[in-house]
Amino acid sequence: MNFRLSLALTCSFSAVLSLHAQNGLRDIPDTAFDAQLNAFNLREGASINLYAHEPAVKNPVHMNWDQKGRLWVVSSPLYPHIQPGEEDNDRIIILEDEDGDGVAEKHTVFADNLHIPTAILPGDGGCYVANAIEVLFLKDTDGDDIADERRVILSGFGTEDTHHLVHTFRYGPEGMIWMNQSIYIHTHLETPYGVRRLLGGGMWHYRPETRRAEVFMKGLINPWGHAFDEWGQSFLTDGAGSQGINYVFPRSVFATSPGASRILTGLNPGQPKHCGLEILTGGHLPDHLQGVQAAPDFRGNRINLFELTDNGSTYTSSQVEDLVSSKHRSFRPIDIKMGPDGAIYVADWYNPIIQHGEVDFRDPRRDKEHGRIWRITFDEHELLTPPQLVDASDKALIEVALTSAQGWDREQAGKEIRTRSAETLLPVIASATPPEGVDPDLFHLRKVWAGQSLNHLDLESVETLLASNNHKARCGALRAVYYTAAENSKALDYASATVSDPHPQVRLWAVSVLAQLASPDTVKLALKALEGIEVDEFLDFAIWSICREHEDRWVSLTEKGNPFENTSQLLFAARALNKAVAVPIILSALSEGEFTSDEDIADLADWISKVGTPADLNAIFEYSISDSSSEASKEIILQSLASAGRLRKIQPAGDINRLSAFLQADNPSLFASAAALAGRWKLESARGGLKEAFLGAPADEARARAALDGLVSLGGPLTAKLFQTLASDTTAPFLTRSLAVIGRTRMNPTEGAKLAISVLREAPEGKDPHGLFDAFLANKQGPGALTAALKGITLPEEVALTGMQKASSAATSPQALIEALQEAGGLQPMKMALSPAEMETMMSEIATKGNPHNGEAIYRRASLQCTVCHAIGGAGGIIGPDLVSIGASAPVDYLVDSLLQPSVKIKEGYHTTLVTLKNGDSFAGAIAREDDNEIVIRDAVGNENRIAKAEVESNQISPVSLMPPGLTASLREDEFVDLARFLSELGKDGDFKTPPNRFIRQWQTLMPHERTRDEIGHQGEIIFTEEIDSYVWLPIYSKVNGALPVGETPDIVGRGKNRHAVARTFIDVAESGEIHLRLIGELKDLVFFHGDTEIKLPESGSETEITLQIKEPGRQKLTFSGLKRHGLENVFIELLDDAGTAQFVPVLDF
Amino acid sequence: MTFKILFAAGAVLLTSSLPTVAPAEDLPLQSGDTVVMIGSTLIERARLYGHLEAALQMAAGLEIEGLTFRNLGWSADSVFADSRSYFGTPQEGRARLAANIEELKPTVVFLAYGTGEAMSVEQGWTNEKDAAEASAAGLETSLELFIDGYQKKIDAIRNASAGSIRELILLSPPPLENLGELLPDQTQNNRNLASFRDAIAELARKNQARFVDLFASLGGDDFDGSIADPALTDNGVHYTEEGYARLAQALIRELGYDETHFVSSDQEAEKVLRNAIIEKNRLFFHRWRPANETYLFLFRKHEQGQNAKEIPMFDPLIEAQEARIAKARQLVFSGKTKN
Repeated sequence: MNFRLSLALTCSFSAVLSLHAQNGLRDIPDTAFDAQLNAFNLREGASINLYAHEPAVKNPVHMNWDQKGRLWVVSSPLYPHIQPGEEDNDRIIILEDEDGDGVAEKHTVFADNLHIPTAILPGDGGCYVANAIEVLFLKDTDGDDIADERRVILSGFGTEDTHHLVHTFRYGPEGMIWMNQSIYIHTHLETPYGVRRLLGGGMWHYRPETRRAEVFMKGLINPWGHAFDEWGQSFLTDGAGSQGINYVFPRSVFATSPGASRILTGLNPGQPKHCGLEILTGGHLPDHLQGVQAAPDFRGNRINLFELTDNGSTYTSSQVEDLVSSKHRSFRPIDIKMGPDGAIYVADWYNPIIQHGEVDFRDPRRDKEHGRIWRITFDEHELLTPPQLVDASDKALIEVALTSAQGWDREQAGKEIRTRSAETLLPVIASATPPEGVDPDLFHLRKVWAGQSLNHLDLESVETLLASNNHKARCGALRAVYYTAAENSKALDYASATVSDPHPQVRLWAVSVLAQLASPDTVKLALKALEGIEVDEFLDFAIWSICREHEDRWVSLTEKGNPFENTSQLLFAARALNKAVAVPIILSALSEGEFTSDEDIADLADWISKVGTPADLNAIFEYSISDSSSEASKEIILQSLASAGRLRKIQPAGDINRLSAFLQADNPSLFASAAALAGRWKLESARGGLKEAFLGAPADEARARAALDGLVSLGGPLTAKLFQTLASDTTAPFLTRSLAVIGRTRMNPTEGAKLAISVLREAPEGKDPHGLFDAFLANKQGPGALTAALKGITLPEEVALTGMQKASSAATSPQALIEALQEAGGLQPMKMALSPAEMETMMSEIATKGNPHNGEAIYRRASLQCTVCHAIGGAGGIIGPDLVSIGASAPVDYLVDSLLQPSVKIKEGYHTTLVTLKNGDSFAGAIAREDDNEIVIRDAVGNENRIAKAEVESNQISPVSLMPPGLTASLREDEFVDLARFLSELGKDGDFKTPPNRFIRQWQTLMPHERTRDEIGHQGEIIFTEEIDSYVWLPIYSKVNGALPVGETPDIVGRGKNRHAVARTFIDVAESGEIHLRLIGELKDLVFFHGDTEIKLPESGSETEITLQIKEPGRQKLTFSGLKRHGLENVFIELLDDAGTAQFVPVLDF
Repeated sequence: MTFKILFAAGAVLLTSSLPTVAPAEDLPLQSGDTVVMIGSTLIERARLYGHLEAALQMAAGLEIEGLTFRNLGWSADSVFADSRSYFGTPQEGRARLAANIEELKPTVVFLAYGTGEAMSVEQGWTNEKDAAEASAAGLETSLELFIDGYQKKIDAIRNASAGSIRELILLSPPPLENLGELLPDQTQNNRNLASFRDAIAELARKNQARFVDLFASLGGDDFDGSIADPALTDNGVHYTEEGYARLAQALIRELGYDETHFVSSDQEAEKVLRNAIIEKNRLFFHRWRPANETYLFLFRKHEQGQNAKEIPMFDPLIEAQEARIAKARQLVFSGKTKN
């Protein structure tokens, strides 16, 4: 019961009151250097030393090198918010290691009058620094290394959240400054080229000499890391988005960009959140680290590594063993940069708590005194000596920029080039020729960049690159052309020549260049990129984007016919626009059979449903009735017609009674689509068929529910009477009665409420399996109606509790209903909040007695429903935040509070939006996407609801978490303590940090089925690979360590007393050939299948390597069956190849 | 600095201390005035240098006391209040500005819009519903939209002030400069600005407001496309610290003040005054436009809203700083730091 926990706590107070101290402060880690040094866990052969520390550096936020090898750092003890009476006194510090021993013995305060500086970039003879609303350029003019000149370079950056302020400054190889901003920031810049606004997250590029600032891409929550690979492609990390590495390109849009109707995703869904990004490179590092992307996971006190491989127009990224991790909770790596000596430098913000959204601005645990810069070296590799750049001759400087094997040298040389005269330097660059041992493509690309650093585009080298066999060279050339394409008369030729390139990423860049141009033919050219290759999501996005951006260049042409090469291209463009453009041309192509694939038909139907007239709807309706359409096409057309009815209140112009034929369909989803449509169209002729299906419950619940939807929409006294009669019929099955109440409630909540009470009383085990409470909560009048009906009524305690939990997590917070249920169930008020003393006791219990292994088992219990909404390392639901490193990032009191009172602290990006329609229906959840016409809300169980904006009455951000309070109420105190301990260990070094091995984490497990006992005897375990409609597969996830615990799967009855655990998973394989897996588990008990082919396993042992022959690339099904008996406890499957060959499929796909 | 520029302009004779002439009847500032400056980047950045305020403080003369200035400038703001809208639409930006006006109860309001709008015709300068497209149209349509929005802004400000406003002063945008081939040629934008200036002058007349032609004063009408030398702007658009000194000079001249009022020979005292103003502006900025709005006042205030109690704690600090400004002003007038 929910009050058990607090009662138990109250009883144990006296024993611990003497320990009373300030809440949580006991958790502060030892601040000694050695305490941190001893807590590191490094890669083999690596060493770490302290390069700089407090008091010279406190709370370092960001750092960059200058050409002299000095490290510039901004530090902000003012974060998170200036206190009245405080000066704007944050600092820029220059750190210098003069004697080359790897320790900065000298530090100079360059400036000490800044307000939460979030980025620093030395260059152009001074430094650029982010200073809240402004980017400043500070300069020392008298040689004392103290700034004496201060200019505002850009102003108008938003400050809505001080960890979102403009950040992550970096010079691009082309000599521009790149800057990012986060989700809450709204920026308004006046530039010499006009006003530029960026609302929400995204990335800017800025060229200091031309003062041009432009938006490059939009979205991401906290894009706190940006690195360029050696070909100049951009990768971002996100401090809250949990998709690892993100590949970005011009005009790409990612999560949370306001008003985005389409977004792209990162390369590592379910990865920890990162701050900073650097590509490891250079002669000091071991080979296996070269080119690896290093992303500090500041929550998890570690630095993750990712290896990228090409994948179409984008990349595949896979995590490998961490670069470093620490058991020290205050180790907060938030920036990482390669250094002049080839070592890796890490800024450690040093704080036991992070962030200020969820932890008070003035929390006394915030550390404002410490800060460290760490340096990682490899003992068996020699350190590098950086070149003298400042005093170098022009020729020597250009040689470094074009040929040095060290990324650091080239980057700094690029900055030095910017300080010299273009007139003298450009001829030196032009005459350079590639020496032996330097990739000529890279050499020419660097030539282009060196020229661009002086604001000059070297077309000769661009053309050399465009002719290269290496697609990366061609991409690099197009990217270089991109920025000034509008002023470049040859840009159109370059793009036209590459838009049909054999490589998709080259096409992506060709389309990006086209998007910059004024030519009337840009869209026509861009659409050619659809032809002849597999068009992946990123390329598709780029083409979609230009069709929209350059709408006015092609739409008017469609009045005279198809301006493009074929009707598929025209359909693509028209769909991109989401407007009624070229409809007659496309519909006539449909009737002439030009569109054949189910996907094309689905696209077409979806588009017509959004933009078509009743006559257009009739055309697709006709097609669905005709013999030429497949069953899948029929279904999708009916669904599209239903959404046209719902969102636009229109229906086909022809005879709609022809729909009735579909109500005889055996195919359950075709029936459901037809039933919904029949109701939508108020088709009286369908009533008989719907009623029959409804009465078919409980034999076929899905069909009955579909019929219910149809009947409710059909409405009228006949429907009301049917529901009324069935709900009151005590001899009717519980499911039928429940559905009848739901139906009645949806029509009239007051009448529904009267019927609900007697049905609720019979709810099995107090659960509400069919969602009666939900039906009331989803209607504006529902809670009031149910409250009224509960007056003077008693309900079983468990039923009332279920109702209270559901009502408490409803976005509308129906307080009266909660109280009515409390009274009806005779429940004590839930004690959710702990007093400071109780919290103190609780924290001590968690620290001393909590068992995280028990906690994990509790976490995984079906009754707690944790995994339904939360993932750990990508394995689990997506409704709530991924908890992969929650323990390392959040203080224990925060975890306890969040378990007890989920609404008190809500992670950014997880706020509930409550949309109420004019008809009283309400939808709560996260905004999945929206455009001008509709808004899509993802609810607490992952369903997406499309809502017409015209029907929306109000739309507000709710202060209520989607997580129901009281989920942990059924736990004993010791169980609660174990659960909290488990959460507090997540992400910390130890058993509960997700290992980098590519274990399968998302599975489906088979539910018991009547045929298994007999069939397994006849055919063996192969029956589990059959696609049988009545098999029910439910999601299950691996544990944090990657194990699938066999004991948690249902017992599948086999021969005699045999009980099997059956689970399957899917992986996507890009190319044919071999792939390799490791299977861990008691092999004698396991049978393993690839598709429907059994892979013979060794007869004994607990681990084996498996080679799969992939003949047809794409999705591969892996199934195992394990005999449940002593010995077989866990099963692991690990993918052994590079990510390029095989990658995980996100759980939502299956 | 001021000196050098004045000499360069060949403008004025300097006296050793300021004359104490009583203000003429038609001058805008009176004792006890609360002066609010509203606009875009031009106004927002003015807070960093203090020239505009210092010039007005000095030009007003010794007899005028108790002037307080509040800078509500916001980079790239439009007449529809785009930049003030945070997570919402420009309508919410206007509501925010109205709330600022209600709280400050200004007696004198300076308005300075037009630079960003004039430079962004054919590109678009607002997200205002039903206006975005027109703002991206040609000069004529965009300008019409601008004036329409400006009139609504004036009405809304008057409305929010509940009659407290005695003086409304519209500033034209100052001219843009050409700074060489790396930066864009601003000739066409300056032509656009001239059209905006004319329309703003007409708008001022209709609203019985004063009009200050910074465009003409700083040579916008004579702009011939040549490279500025010396440059008053940093990027062709935004005035440098020295540029603001020139703007300040033009401002008080156009308002009808005797230029000599504003020219102090006592650089030391003037610097003290400007520094005091700059510090007041820093404090006021943290007060009216604090960081972390999301947590303090917006949709995450249920998490960290308890910290909002600190924001009004800037008020006494600002008050104390106003006293320092008054004292510094006295010093300027007395010429005390001289000698």
